[in-house]
Amino acid sequence: MREWWSKICRALHFRSGLDRDLSDEMQAHLDLMTAENIERGMPPTEARAAARRAFGNVTSTQEKARESWQFPRLETILQDIRYGLRGIRKSPSFSLVVILTLALGIGANTAIFSVVYSVLLRPLPYPHGERLVWLGESTAKASGISITWINFEHWRHDNDSFENMAAFAGEDLTLTGRGDAVLTHEWLVTSGFFQLIGARPALGRLFTDRDDTPGAAPTVVATADCWQRKLGGDSNVVGESVVLDGTSYQIIGVLNPGFQFQMRPVDFYLPIGRNANAHHKRSDHGNMRAVGLLKPGATLTQARTNLDAIMQRLALSDPGPEDDHRAYAAYFTEVMAGDVRTTLLVLMSAVGLVLIIACANVASLLLVRSTARAREIAIRVAIGAGRARLARQLLTENIVIAVIGGALGLFLAGWSLRMLILIGPRDIPRLTEATLDLPVLLFAAVISVAVGLLAGLAPVWNAGKVDLTTALKEGSPTASAGKRGEAFRSTLVIAEIAITLMLSFVSGLLVRSLIAAQHADPGFDPQNLLAIELQLPESRYGSADSVREYYGQLSQNLRAEPGVDDVGLVMCPPGAGDCGDYWYSILEKPTPTRDDVPLSLFNIADASYFRAARMRLLAGRNFNESDRAGGLRVTMINERLARQEWPDPRLALGQHLKVGGPYMEGPTLEIIGVLANVSQEGLDGERSPTFYYAFSQKPDSAMVVTLRTNGDPAQCMNAARRQVSALDRNVPIQSLRTAEDWLGATLQRRRFATLLLGLFGGLAMLLAAVGIYGVLNYWVSARQREIAIRLAVGAQRSTIMRWAGLHATRLAVIGIVLGTLGAWSAARWLESLVFGVKAHNPLMMFLAGGAVMAIAALAASIPLWRATHTDAVRNLREA
Amino acid sequence: MSTVDNPLQRLELLQGTLEVLILRSLQATPNHAYGISQFLERQSEFEFLVDNGSLYPALQRLLQRRWISSQWKKSPNGRRAKYYRLTPLGRTQLVAAKSKWMRFVEAMARVLAPQR
Repeated sequence: MREWWSKICRALHFRSGLDRDLSDEMQAHLDLMTAENIERGMPPTEARAAARRAFGNVTSTQEKARESWQFPRLETILQDIRYGLRGIRKSPSFSLVVILTLALGIGANTAIFSVVYSVLLRPLPYPHGERLVWLGESTAKASGISITWINFEHWRHDNDSFENMAAFAGEDLTLTGRGDAVLTHEWLVTSGFFQLIGARPALGRLFTDRDDTPGAAPTVVATADCWQRKLGGDSNVVGESVVLDGTSYQIIGVLNPGFQFQMRPVDFYLPIGRNANAHHKRSDHGNMRAVGLLKPGATLTQARTNLDAIMQRLALSDPGPEDDHRAYAAYFTEVMAGDVRTTLLVLMSAVGLVLIIACANVASLLLVRSTARAREIAIRVAIGAGRARLARQLLTENIVIAVIGGALGLFLAGWSLRMLILIGPRDIPRLTEATLDLPVLLFAAVISVAVGLLAGLAPVWNAGKVDLTTALKEGSPTASAGKRGEAFRSTLVIAEIAITLMLSFVSGLLVRSLIAAQHADPGFDPQNLLAIELQLPESRYGSADSVREYYGQLSQNLRAEPGVDDVGLVMCPPGAGDCGDYWYSILEKPTPTRDDVPLSLFNIADASYFRAARMRLLAGRNFNESDRAGGLRVTMINERLARQEWPDPRLALGQHLKVGGPYMEGPTLEIIGVLANVSQEGLDGERSPTFYYAFSQKPDSAMVVTLRTNGDPAQCMNAARRQVSALDRNVPIQSLRTAEDWLGATLQRRRFATLLLGLFGGLAMLLAAVGIYGVLNYWVSARQREIAIRLAVGAQRSTIMRWAGLHATRLAVIGIVLGTLGAWSAARWLESLVFGVKAHNPLMMFLAGGAVMAIAALAASIPLWRATHTDAVRNLREA
Repeated sequence: MSTVDNPLQRLELLQGTLEVLILRSLQATPNHAYGISQFLERQSEFEFLVDNGSLYPALQRLLQRRWISSQWKKSPNGRRAKYYRLTPLGRTQLVAAKSKWMRFVEAMARVLAPQR
């Protein structure tokens, strides 16, 4: 350590001083010896000469002494770097191509990696985010369903793998008494939640156990955003009260700004345990989930086993219908990323393949250059450069180029990252937080150096085997420049073609899927359809009758508006996600076993909704006025559910659907109609089995009012707002959108992935074209003389054409075969990203193959043209 | 090649010994490079040949480790020379190295010329 430090100081400050001091010292040494010689009686000149002889080589001694102050390794590296930079300046066009290729590859990889890092890898912004676990219950059919309060209480108290555990549940309540009624969003949480998540109060305090017990005085904590926008930003707000769904809550605190739990913007936090009395049974589900902080060192598997053991014990001590339920536990980071994971991993692999192509291009370029430099290398070897020294020099040169390319790539990445965030879908969690931060910079640095090493290996390997005599004598690249280099370059071209084929296949598939999704039949007519999302405050609309009356009146008023053709009510319109799923069974069919009860989505709609939305009725009849509350309970099902149970949808009519299946409570509904499928999850979503309750028989306070207009639906927006406000100004409009907007937004993520993959496919094609061109061009250059001789002795140009063309075709065909195999086996990873077509799509494979073939032909045509137009006479004379 | 050492040919210093010898030579009094080499040759009864090409780098290494320090001074006969002196750190190093080398020498002797 100390030695190093003094070396560094010396190197920085005292280099020249040290040299002077050393020579002074040696001069003094010589003077002493001379003086002694004179004392012994020698004449002065002879005395000095004798002293010099005795001393030995002054310069060499001085150099050796100086070396002990240096970092010899470092200095040779610096020298190699200087040499590399000089090489770049000497062949600017070559260097430019290499650096740009690397910059593209590294830039694209860095940008995508920063997204992957931010979305998938970066620890959550909570204390010990890496140990946070998402908890729910699991059944044989579904995992991650809600936890019941009683189960949670047992988990919380009996487990020994978690440091802490907190429950949360989402809820929407209407805020009244402060101007117009507004719908607010809440998290109901246990008192330990804030500590676990690391939230602090900006004003007042957070919940204690006293707030979180049954029968406690109602209290709320407001978020900073809500405090600013809905509570006036008054610092005296603590102690005031707010009315949520008719209950008055005391505000006890305001959270620090910037705190958000999950992607859900929330206004208030409420203690969940205040209403815990309502849950009497171990099977009383709500929508509660929990989050746990693993003890340091505890694994997820341990935690699962631990919680499962508690569930098994409970099944014995407190048996119920859900004794087979088990615990669901997954890391929070994974749950948050959800299905974005596959998309991002596919993108990351694609961009990685682009980097490989870039790397191959650079390798073949460097190889070409090193062959051209064979004479220089031979000279170096001849004057005594060792293999290791030579390898180090060549590698340093390559790394210098790679680092310059990487730096440029970083700029590119910074720029494209901004574009990515701009065009990226809003629903990808933490996408906007992606920046070029330390781990990303590290990634860029590592891949730059790795690419430099990898691309530089071939020339270095070749240089080690330089045949001195040939290289020194010939000194120009000829066909004899190495069969090995030839084979290596051919391999690179084959790899490039194979990878490009894979990428074009994948991007082709995604483009095809996007088109399919855009043209997918949504099952209804989204044109001229307006959707008003409402939520009636429960304080004013507590009874089913009041809800029915409100929506009936609103529908009537809206129908009277000019431009409105029809008005319908639905709970979850297509493309808006589902309202939830539940078990069901068909009474007329054999009773399924407990594990085989099927699931179906459910929805609520009124009699005019299917007409207003123009959904096709396949069999039976629509809901009508005769389906009243208290009358025969009826349902309409979709085609998917009908086909799941019967060979023909018409057979469903008159049969009875038991909600909840044989083992859970639920009403029995008579099936009166079968509807065409609609895409509940979005245009590219699955068409899941769905049954509809009649709104008249199961009114809900949260409904979406759909308006069929006879013109631009946007023009009816003001009328819609006016009518809602006129009927009851305490009812907030949650959203007001056209169905086309609504549906279009569902494809945002698909567009994003398709755009990027298309971009990468294009980039791969471009790079591969450059690579193929470069290698074939070199192949022709190396054979210029051979071609000239052939032409001179009477070969036809067509023969040359066939010869060179055969070489190119052979490479292309091998590449395409390998690429097809690769793409075909990779296709199963894409199953979840593909829509409307099969991932194993021969047509797409064929098209991609054709495209790559065309690109290869294009790239090969220039060298082939050169080959056939060799001027035999001139070439031979020059040689 | 003869199997017996030529007594006229002086010994080459073993790797790592020179530095200990330099420290030892500075134990009593500070000295300059020439003085050190003379001291070592005289003390070893001219068995050791001290090559300046080894001496100077060794001095530099010792300086870097702060085992010795240097200073320009006038020699007794009025000439300017660079004098090296042991630092306290160098002194402890010398003690440690000395006992290590003594053990080494004894061990070598026991192995090479065992007393029956």
